Amino acid sequence: MPSAMAQAAQGNGAVPSSKTWELSLYELHRTPQLSLRQEALTDGTEIAVSPRSLHSELMCPICLDMLKNTMTTKECLHRFCSECIITALRSGNKECPTCRKKLVSKRSLRPDPNFDALISKIYPSRDEYEAHQERVLSRLQKHHNQQALSSSIEEGLKMQAQNRAQRVRKQPADADNMAGSGGEENGDSSHASNASTHSTIPEAGPSRKCSRVDSEGSGTEPGPGTGVLASQLLPTLGQDVTGPEETGADTTGEIELVFKPHPILAEKRDGAQTRCGSRRYIKTTANATVDHLSKYLALRLALEEQQRGGAGSGGMGTGTQGGTAAGSGGGVGQIGSVGPMGVGTATGASPKGIELANEKQYTIYMATASGQFTTLNGSLSLDKVNEKYWKVNKPMELYYAPTKELK
Amino acid sequence: MASQNVDPTSASSFSSAKASEKGGSMAKGSVSKRLQQELLTLMRSGDKGISAFPDGENLFRWIGTIQGAAGTVYEGLSYKLLLEFPSGYPYNAPRVVFVTPCFHPNVDCEGNICLDILKDEWSALYDVRTILLSLQSLLSEPNIKSPLNTTAAALWNNQTGEMFELLTARSMTDQCSNVFMLPE
Repeated sequence: MPSAMAQAAQGNGAVPSSKTWELSLYELHRTPQLSLRQEALTDGTEIAVSPRSLHSELMCPICLDMLKNTMTTKECLHRFCSECIITALRSGNKECPTCRKKLVSKRSLRPDPNFDALISKIYPSRDEYEAHQERVLSRLQKHHNQQALSSSIEEGLKMQAQNRAQRVRKQPADADNMAGSGGEENGDSSHASNASTHSTIPEAGPSRKCSRVDSEGSGTEPGPGTGVLASQLLPTLGQDVTGPEETGADTTGEIELVFKPHPILAEKRDGAQTRCGSRRYIKTTANATVDHLSKYLALRLALEEQQRGGAGSGGMGTGTQGGTAAGSGGGVGQIGSVGPMGVGTATGASPKGIELANEKQYTIYMATASGQFTTLNGSLSLDKVNEKYWKVNKPMELYYAPTKELK
Repeated sequence: MASQNVDPTSASSFSSAKASEKGGSMAKGSVSKRLQQELLTLMRSGDKGISAFPDGENLFRWIGTIQGAAGTVYEGLSYKLLLEFPSGYPYNAPRVVFVTPCFHPNVDCEGNICLDILKDEWSALYDVRTILLSLQSLLSEPNIKSPLNTTAAALWNNQTGEMFELLTARSMTDQCSNVFMLPE
């Protein structure tokens, strides 16, 4: 430090006469500061410094950011970013912003490359540090910014849907697991039931880039706030969702179903379809309605039919499901010819199947006591159905049969 | 180092012309970044008796609150302030006014504040927190020598008991009629 000063004094050639560079009595007699071990730290000893105090040391008090091209005032030794202090000197008083010591011009400052080196040693990747700062600030924003809030809701819903799809895919109980198509389409089931929810969200609030939200790590598991808000949003989307399960996390919003062909109606119409093996296990959101299910079913059966047609008979069945698949295939084939179907969201749905997508082709029944079957209202959500008819804590059993044609 | 022997005053006057130019066209990004940092530290610090938050979505306009310090005539009273940050912030001082009527020697009927650090003595190191703390201490330690509200200054010299009465009676509304609207 003294050498720098001396240099500065020489360079300036304008040292006030009242100042001397001689050491004071104290400076002459004091012993250099030593570490606790009475020697310089040359071994691997580490000294912990709290991030906050470190930050205050390395921060420019003007921009409140990490020092960049550090400049130090020659007399009072306060540090600033080069850009910050130069702007400050130009636009304000000619004094040190920290202590008000007179600073005539830029020449009262000197670059401090040692300090820059120190910073780059501590934070080798400045970009990374800045990215982190960004995230901290955006989190702050997120908490108090309406727009950001809605974007985080959006993000939360997306995450939920994703998690859901993954969970469903992993379900080993999927008896309907046809090679190649099974997994994909099960993913679809959650989509189909979710499609309306999803597409409407961006309208609920200004949509915004929200990649930041999940990069923070808080995004993987939607926070409680998001969950609650999301569930408050859902009823506004025209779905009858008021069940208590909906206020919790998304895990409680799912429901497992066993789908079987209607033993009487289905048999009457197409005998081949009633084999017990054609039952389907489905896991979907509890707020999906019976209509959703029926659409999904129509689509699913039609797809199977299509694949069967394309790949040749028997090509689709795997293992134990082989016979079943073929069996249900026959029945479905008939349905398919009555009215090719396909919900628009279907993956790989053939173009010809789209026209009649919205036409309800299957009616869904719930077995009641004494072998009776009740037709389920299409607008009923699955959790309502569960509450009303099933009530038992095991997969809900539903029956399906082609809807009678209104001829 | 070519300009080593140039008179520093002429050099700085040259650069100050450029400075105002630069201050005006300062990237909004860096200003809002600093304001966000300030907000973060303000919320972390948890200072007693002061608070501030951006007014809606606009980061350049904050609403602050200060509470009268205990043991002063302003104890138990809280004042709302409006802080408006110029694009040259923090090199230029923000505009700070009282929104809540404040009967004080250095505050006028429109809420304008006479405080050196908000004018000539502004430093880029000041921030919302230090401004609010300064105003909080200004409440109980007015500068009687340069009053904006002479009535208040006279009363302050006279007897603080009377001042307190005025404060609690909210007599400011009579004095200044309805000028305490949010300045547009």
